[in-house]
Amino acid sequence: MWGQYSYGLFVVMAAAVIAFFALSKERDDLHKLLLLDLVEIVGLGVIALLGTDLAEALILPGLTVGIAELLALSQIYCTKEGIRDIPVRGLNIEVIAKADAPLIISLFLVVYGMILSGFTGGAVAGLGLVILFISRSYREDLNLLEMASGISWALWIFAFFVFMFLPQYWFVALMGAAIGILLKVTVKMSLVGTMWGEQHD
Amino acid sequence: MINIGGIPYYILEFGDELVYFTPYTLTLFLLALTFTVLVIISRPEKQVDIAFGGDAYRTKEISLSEMRFRRFMAIACGLASMGAMVTGDIFNFALFTAMVGITNVGIVAAVKSPHVQNAAYQYGLVALAATIPLFAGAAVYAAAIGSLSMIELMKGTLPAVPLIAKAMLVIGVIGEGMAPFYAAKAEMFRAPGAPYVIMCSLSSLLIFLRVVEIVMLG
Repeated sequence: MWGQYSYGLFVVMAAAVIAFFALSKERDDLHKLLLLDLVEIVGLGVIALLGTDLAEALILPGLTVGIAELLALSQIYCTKEGIRDIPVRGLNIEVIAKADAPLIISLFLVVYGMILSGFTGGAVAGLGLVILFISRSYREDLNLLEMASGISWALWIFAFFVFMFLPQYWFVALMGAAIGILLKVTVKMSLVGTMWGEQHD
Repeated sequence: MINIGGIPYYILEFGDELVYFTPYTLTLFLLALTFTVLVIISRPEKQVDIAFGGDAYRTKEISLSEMRFRRFMAIACGLASMGAMVTGDIFNFALFTAMVGITNVGIVAAVKSPHVQNAAYQYGLVALAATIPLFAGAAVYAAAIGSLSMIELMKGTLPAVPLIAKAMLVIGVIGEGMAPFYAAKAEMFRAPGAPYVIMCSLSSLLIFLRVVEIVMLG
């Protein structure tokens, strides 16, 4: 096991060295950011190489921190370069806007996501909603969706407290956590699909 | 028992969370707490530019919303430093350190001035690059010794930690803390907003002091 781990580590290190070398040659600020994101994803390979349940639990915070820094830096880049928000109202492609295909695809993805449940299911179902929202250019009240996201997050956290304090009710907690994270990720991802950089309060 | 920071006064093990106080970490924690309280109660200063060769000077106007944001970031930075000081879990330490890095950039990036924004962006890139060795170091700790707990490390029964894990952890902290890069560049010090910028320096100092303890444990 240690042998495989070492080889994997070596491959990740080689990839990181190549990417950092490219970074040292790069002069454009935006390209630097993109290259760093590339290295970041490769770097997660080191955690993934653990190959245990712990690795799965550790990758998620690692990825979240990486995305948070990426978002913060993109915001700084936009301010620095004086780039303004340009509101985009969906994809203006006639076939997508009129045909039934996006509806069928998103329905399939949402149902499949619900069967999967948990974080992965939430991502899949959310992707389905993203496709629908992008193709139809809806103007909805997003506050309700945000509230649903907050409530399902609270359900998720509540389920964790049940795990800690009342371990005998683990099955209820498991179901609560699975449904909570499913709803939360679905709603969050569909918000990503609808909030095309428009100012919204 | 290896007691670099003294004998722990108190160990809290709750689920995955592990918090302990030794004389060393308690001192660092109190320092972070004091400065966070100072940031909360202190009033921001206005930067004064003096024209050379004359008596003229002018103060820079800073908007209230900008100051609010910077205060929030400084408080968040203080909380993250406190977390990094008392945590007994190497991965949690990596997470708190990454949060210190983000908030450090946030404190500076709120200033609406091109050269400060530019400097903040470059330091943000360094912080982003540093998360890779930071988390990779923690992962190699877990792979090599099978535990992330510093209490387990203190017992001295675990296999030796590989040098590369320690090196990556330290490199990560150097990048996140920004301190060596920070002092070399004047742009950030030229950013107005006196009490908040100090949290950048203080938090980097604290995470350095803590990583020394962690590296010497195993």
